[in-house]
Amino acid sequence: MGKKHQTPLLDELKKGKWISFVREMERAAEKSPRTEDLLGQVEESYRDKITHWKHGGMAGVKSYGAGMVGRFSDSPEKYPGVKECHSMRINQTSGFFYNSDVLRKIAGIAEKYAGGLLNLHGATGDIQILGVTQAEAEDAFQAYAELGFDLGGGGSDLRTPSCCVGPARCEFSNYDTLKICYDLTREYQDELHRPSFNYKFKLKFSGCSNDCVASASRSDLAFIGTWKDNIKINQEEVKNYVKKFDVQKYVLDKCPTKCMWFEGDKLVIDDSNCVKCHHCINEMPKALKSGDEKGLSILIGAKAPLVTGPRMGMMLVPFYDVNEDSKNDYEQLKGLISNIWEFWDEYGVSRERIGELIARVGLVTFLEGVGLEPIPEMVNTPRTNPFIKFEDEDAAQ
Amino acid sequence: MTDEIKKKVEDKIIGLVKEYAGKKRFKPIDLVKEMERDFAAEGLTKDDIKGVLKDIMDEGKLVYGYAGGSFLTLPDEN
Amino acid sequence: MPEEVKKKRLTDVGPHDYHDYLPPMVKKNYGKWAYHEIMDSGTMVHVAESGDKLYTVRVGSPRLVSGSFVRDLCDIADKYCGGYLRFTTRNSAEFLFEDEKNIEPLKKDLEKLGLNVGGIGNNVANIVHTQGWVHCHTSASDASGVVKSVMDELYEYFVEEKLPSKVRIAFACCLNMCGSVGSSDIAIVGTHRKPPKINQERLLNLCEIPSTIASCPTNSVRPDVTADGKQTVRIVQETCVFCGSCYTVCPAMPIADPLSDGVSIWVGGKVSNARTKPTFSKLVIPFIPNEPPRWTKVTEAVKTIINAYKEGGHPGERVSEWVDRIGWSRFFKITGFEFTKYHVDDFRLAESMMNYSAYTRL
Repeated sequence: MGKKHQTPLLDELKKGKWISFVREMERAAEKSPRTEDLLGQVEESYRDKITHWKHGGMAGVKSYGAGMVGRFSDSPEKYPGVKECHSMRINQTSGFFYNSDVLRKIAGIAEKYAGGLLNLHGATGDIQILGVTQAEAEDAFQAYAELGFDLGGGGSDLRTPSCCVGPARCEFSNYDTLKICYDLTREYQDELHRPSFNYKFKLKFSGCSNDCVASASRSDLAFIGTWKDNIKINQEEVKNYVKKFDVQKYVLDKCPTKCMWFEGDKLVIDDSNCVKCHHCINEMPKALKSGDEKGLSILIGAKAPLVTGPRMGMMLVPFYDVNEDSKNDYEQLKGLISNIWEFWDEYGVSRERIGELIARVGLVTFLEGVGLEPIPEMVNTPRTNPFIKFEDEDAAQ
Repeated sequence: MTDEIKKKVEDKIIGLVKEYAGKKRFKPIDLVKEMERDFAAEGLTKDDIKGVLKDIMDEGKLVYGYAGGSFLTLPDEN
Repeated sequence: MPEEVKKKRLTDVGPHDYHDYLPPMVKKNYGKWAYHEIMDSGTMVHVAESGDKLYTVRVGSPRLVSGSFVRDLCDIADKYCGGYLRFTTRNSAEFLFEDEKNIEPLKKDLEKLGLNVGGIGNNVANIVHTQGWVHCHTSASDASGVVKSVMDELYEYFVEEKLPSKVRIAFACCLNMCGSVGSSDIAIVGTHRKPPKINQERLLNLCEIPSTIASCPTNSVRPDVTADGKQTVRIVQETCVFCGSCYTVCPAMPIADPLSDGVSIWVGGKVSNARTKPTFSKLVIPFIPNEPPRWTKVTEAVKTIINAYKEGGHPGERVSEWVDRIGWSRFFKITGFEFTKYHVDDFRLAESMMNYSAYTRL
């Protein structure tokens, strides 16, 4: 049987050593007429150099305002299979762990109710199923729900939280990223499925400041593992590393605060000046370990460019004792998140991310609103301009 | 919250969305704030109103729309 | 009777409990890992305090995969890993197992399936990317095709550790930057260069005027009135920066244009805090036209950057640290990329980007 659509341009992308997405689309198309049409439409984009997806139109399941993204072809007469070609977001597991049984079932549902194509995973973290129609959305959703999987976020809501591999397979992790990601996702099901915010809100959890989920560059609240006490040194292992490579040059000289040095062959660290950059631990994992008083730092406000430019997360809470608070069902953290959402509800405008709101009203106004004190950890330096708005009551004293 | 007040809130929310159909897109939070003001005398909290809104959506009387941000709309308006 | 009992509709079941899918050795040593070592560009071993060793083999993925691909991975997991497998935050798949003897046969089986083993250590890891023409309505370029073309060119850097440090490449097909590519060593970003075209008739039916006006970062969407007196908007062409934000809010303002769309290239972003603070990628090439199916100019530009970094970067230096050390003037000299007026920032933080010093490399 011949191909439904000739795809000479896409065929070029089956060549070369790197695994080809065209091969994957063709494998899915063997079982799915709609994915055959998808190949045809993408080939047309390659010819025309323009997308053939129309803007507008909704897709979703009853009572949820999130978890599906509507996609409609602008050429349904030519490609009837993708007249509707929505994606369904399935909330991934913490740390992206699966077994073959459940993954086969997830793929099977994607083949039965959609185009047999999946994103493993989408940018925010969800599994995405491509090629769902509105008519089949409910059945696909219920099939995933029976498997114990729910839809993810979308629209002006809490987007699906995600985390790094954490303590499951990493010695660097300073807290249980998988657990808090799972616990808070369950806690905030309503916020995730029923959009009621000004815009999207993201939570991401990284076990250390290597930040493998890129939380500090893309999540409104970034949770980055850290510790309060001293780095633990195994001097014997330090000596072993010294035999293997130039520790002075590649570790000590690269320390951003030069807080470590050798006294004889003994490594000494001035922990009071350590900024927890993690470089030395990365380089000498057998010799150095983070301290025992573990917790995390909370950074706020990261986002991609739209609407008013990209932002990196900024320090909000230098040390949060997540291990202690998790015993109380995260009472303290949930209080902080609730205050932040209240402030955002009250003062934010449509499509304004929390970082943009803070920039607009000023950090101090925000801190007063959520009940936090300004501290030096929040700034690079104190202000350098003298235009200070003293308050009346301070001026009277 | 009595069933009677709940019905009033529900009617008012759906009425607003109907009245401004095609002119204004209501974000859920805007409606919640507005109802909080309108029903201050009845002592309704934000959570009460969010509950009413959830029921409206569960029953499919309104549905979610999306255009850059999420909003509420009438089910036949897709 | 039973057929009349309707099944209860399930909602809010939440994410699946990850404990169900943790391999036994992970469960046993959860939070008790002592250290790890990279064995080669596709294999590492994690050693627990108990002395247990867990091997990981990583394979690249196009991210957009078929059900058959998933079953391929599952078959491997069944054969070597007790059925368990995981994915990384950069969309690679990882096979976790206890027996060192399985490393080579597992890799051979993966290669037979056409999968690429690598991406660990000082190399180019899987490129994170967006949907592009395959599944997005705001894209200025395809994503998967550009990524495939770049990875074909950089294949040797995925399967072997030949670079000063790790290189993280990301692709976004418009300025929405799904996946937040803007803090990558090399970011490729779909770029429009013409203002949106307003379809007045559709706009009247489809768009809410105030939110469309508010969507613009440069205040270039202004209120207007049609000839027959209806509320609409107009675009101030002089100040529009082609971001597409208004199109996101108002479907009647399409911005894609086959003649003027393409990609831009950004360099020197970093998310990790190690040694230096996280930082965004900086513009190095403002525009390269779309050249499907192989985007040759894009792959050449990326190779130029990789070659310059490979040549000049000190061991352990990320791209951002290398450029910080040699300076941007030398970066442009070495790569031969042209520095233009588009490289000078004129948006919100523009003032903070200038060189307030006498420092110069002559």
